Amino acid sequence: MSTMKDSQQTPASKDLDPVIEAYKKDIDVTLIRENLRLTVDERFQQLMQLQKFAEDLRRAGRKARSQ
Amino acid sequence: MTDFKALLRLLTDNQVEFIIVGGAAATAHGSARLTLDLDVVYNRSRENIARIFNALRPIQPYLRGAPAGLPFEWSAETLAKGLNFTLITTLGALDLLGEIVGGGSYDQLVPETIIVDVGGVHCKCLSLERLIKVKRAAGRPKDLEAVAELEQILDEIP
Repeated sequence: MSTMKDSQQTPASKDLDPVIEAYKKDIDVTLIRENLRLTVDERFQQLMQLQKFAEDLRRAGRKARSQ
Repeated sequence: MTDFKALLRLLTDNQVEFIIVGGAAATAHGSARLTLDLDVVYNRSRENIARIFNALRPIQPYLRGAPAGLPFEWSAETLAKGLNFTLITTLGALDLLGEIVGGGSYDQLVPETIIVDVGGVHCKCLSLERLIKVKRAAGRPKDLEAVAELEQILDEIP
């Protein structure tokens, strides 16, 4: 039977999703720390550079496969 | 490639009422994950729909992934009749969302936003805490993976 004390202790543990906790093991916290040093504007600039790089890689892959 | 800054500037310059959500909001909060589109929740008022129509008309919005030639008329009426639109424009991919799972409408989300400065453009962005809740509610594997990173970001913020 749950008591008032139990129910007060459960919210945090209830939020623990084993799938999310498993994903956390693979998070590179150093990248997060680097990003948190940037301004929001710099974070978007970095995102757009990453998009361009990904697109360049996709294009190079398509070209290589077609040869 | 999506020009996030140009899209945000265009919406803001036209006084569109919107909130950055999704992957772009995660980027604003420090996420290192790649996102390809700009997701925004927009105010569904008639005035705001008219602003969106006018703002996006020059960048030729079209339904993303739709077969070429599919009849799609960009108009305020089209916006008013629909709710969520996944668009491709000359500035990149833009998702206009009338509502989001776990978050609701623009009015419901506004109290849980912060103002971010993206290259001098000031716009509303969903708070980190609320973004985590929304992603948890969406519940797809990619959302849960995003939650893992967002919760780590929350832990890193002093």
